[in-house]
Amino acid sequence: MAALIRRYGTGLTGIIIALTTFWLIVLVILPYFDLFESSFRPYLPAADVGGPKDVYSLSNYITIFQNPAEFNIGLFGFTFPISVAIHMWVFVLTILFSVLTTLTSLVLCYPLAYYMAKVIDPKRLSTFLLLLVVPMWVSELLRAFAWFILLAFKGPLTIVLQNLGIITDPIHWTWGLGGFSGVIVTLVYVYILFMLFPIYNSMTSLDTNQLEAAQDLGAKSWQTHWRVVVPHCKPGIASGCVTVFMLAVGSLLVPTLLSSPSSRWFTEVIYSRMFDENDWNGGAAYAFILLFVCTIFVSLTMRLFKVGLADIAK
Amino acid sequence: MTKLTSTQELMRAANLSRRSLLKSAVAVGAVGFAAPITVQNAFATSGELNFEGWSGYDDLKKTVMPAFEKATGIKVNFKEVDSQDTMRADAKTAIASGAVDVMEPTVDRLPAWVSDGFVQPWDLKKVAADNYLDSVPGAKAGSAGDVDGKRYFLPSVWGTEALTFNSKTVDGTYGKLGLDALFSENMVGKVTVRGHSSLAAMGRVLDAAGKLPMPWIDSYKNEDNMKKLWDIALAEAVKHKKNIAQFWSGENEAQAAFKTNGAEIGLTWDSTGYNLRNDGYGFVAPKEGAFAWSQGFLLLNGAKNVEQAHEFAKWVSTADGASMWASAFSANPVAKGAIDKMNPDVSKFYASSYPGDALAKLYWWPSQAAWFLKLRGEYADKWKSA
Repeated sequence: MAALIRRYGTGLTGIIIALTTFWLIVLVILPYFDLFESSFRPYLPAADVGGPKDVYSLSNYITIFQNPAEFNIGLFGFTFPISVAIHMWVFVLTILFSVLTTLTSLVLCYPLAYYMAKVIDPKRLSTFLLLLVVPMWVSELLRAFAWFILLAFKGPLTIVLQNLGIITDPIHWTWGLGGFSGVIVTLVYVYILFMLFPIYNSMTSLDTNQLEAAQDLGAKSWQTHWRVVVPHCKPGIASGCVTVFMLAVGSLLVPTLLSSPSSRWFTEVIYSRMFDENDWNGGAAYAFILLFVCTIFVSLTMRLFKVGLADIAK
Repeated sequence: MTKLTSTQELMRAANLSRRSLLKSAVAVGAVGFAAPITVQNAFATSGELNFEGWSGYDDLKKTVMPAFEKATGIKVNFKEVDSQDTMRADAKTAIASGAVDVMEPTVDRLPAWVSDGFVQPWDLKKVAADNYLDSVPGAKAGSAGDVDGKRYFLPSVWGTEALTFNSKTVDGTYGKLGLDALFSENMVGKVTVRGHSSLAAMGRVLDAAGKLPMPWIDSYKNEDNMKKLWDIALAEAVKHKKNIAQFWSGENEAQAAFKTNGAEIGLTWDSTGYNLRNDGYGFVAPKEGAFAWSQGFLLLNGAKNVEQAHEFAKWVSTADGASMWASAFSANPVAKGAIDKMNPDVSKFYASSYPGDALAKLYWWPSQAAWFLKLRGEYADKWKSA
């Protein structure tokens, strides 16, 4: 605070703090609070709001455990039927496929980040960075739409492969992986830089002498990575994973656009609660379930890998 | 360090723009709030109408209402809102203050408006009820526009959800093509539908085949009926899940389903059929009757300009008025003869979509209460996830 005043003077500091406070309270905290409060109230016709039926309850939250549906799970060639509450099912799938998205991004980014930080000729680094960043200057909507076109049943990918004689019948590219392949591919593409840059950042701070020392002491390449690079980059990896996971779980555009006839993302359920059914209360409750469960999930994972929030902030 | 500063810059810029936006919004709001009061005072005696309708259809204000004013000398004070819930919330205060004379919700919500005591019946002597197409709700006694024998609803515009098909591969002759085509064995991987409306389509197919314990329409009445009937429709639909090439939820997706994702038949809005009409696709009402929605005018209790309100509804039932109103919404007019006054492309499309007795067979969406919408969403989720 004192440092701020010394640097900007009382007037400017006052404005900065006032604006930040305004931003936080009016544009973040109050709307969240309003949504949180309404999530405990039933959705009622306009005439009944504030009336005797308008009481607090957990019913909007409990709905997620209700309405079971039958599903067949295929595993190692066996299929067994299970009965799960429909929205619980969608929720679990959303988490699972977001984890898959995160892991895929990690696998793609780790070697790339290592290449950029330790291998590439520094003179060419800026060109390389530019190539990575340029696609991100286009809005997320357009990038997702580009994949929508590429992966379409009769889209460019199908046509090229057909002309090369590799396939004969057109393929539904978004139908793989239980109907989530299009969603995963596009989520990875859209959010990959959020994984790459934290890892790259943490790798640049790794002293190259340590790598050479490991080699001198006879470590194989994978041992060097496992015992020197990865431990050093853990905060960067964790930070990338948390960001990509949360973005993927909360994405609405990509799962809607790249959906297959059997994919359903939890954000789509929230959206239809809010806008198809006009049930803002129910939608709010689901949004908070998503927020809370993901926060817990992320904290647990971080604890499992022994990474603290403070490490990420570095 | 440089990074931090740029972030701060960004946040500050965002803060400032949000704030100035808010300020100007407050200013506009203040003017908007003051304006109707002065207007009301100036014209309190006659020649005006306070109308609350849908926002987002600019032609209403730009061309339709000036034409009405020219024809009748009545000035419309148009309040635009974006949902029926807002209309209902406003109606609650308007019936006491008389601030709004006429609102324009959809017909399926009418029972709730009447039971809440928000509306009064129209005086049929002061309008021209014969002008309306026979099939639209509110045109005739005993239609969905009546409650307890009184006419509360006068239609303004309507549209459908029916079958878009590939003219080369599907025989779209009216009377042959039905909703059952969506679930037929030879349409595997070639169908696009909306989640909940395709279940309703399946329900109607089963109903027509006599495979339901009670009429499908009963599922809209209470939760028990609904679960019983929708469980059957869902189970039957899931058996034909292979037919689905893509679920659509908006206009773009519906078009893409046909253009790039292999759909050859689909249950879509009329707008999709219209937009694809030059790409080798046809649009036709299924033989069972197309799903249809209708908006119309309600006369509020406590309305101050009752005469003008009747003039207004009457003008929208003329061929000119109805065609203008429908054009503004890109949907269908409610008056006889109005379709010929629309853009020729639209008239042509209309004639091919609703041939023969299609207009008489329209299936108006039944009223859907909050509990129904919620369950409907859950069934749609089960159907999509299956």
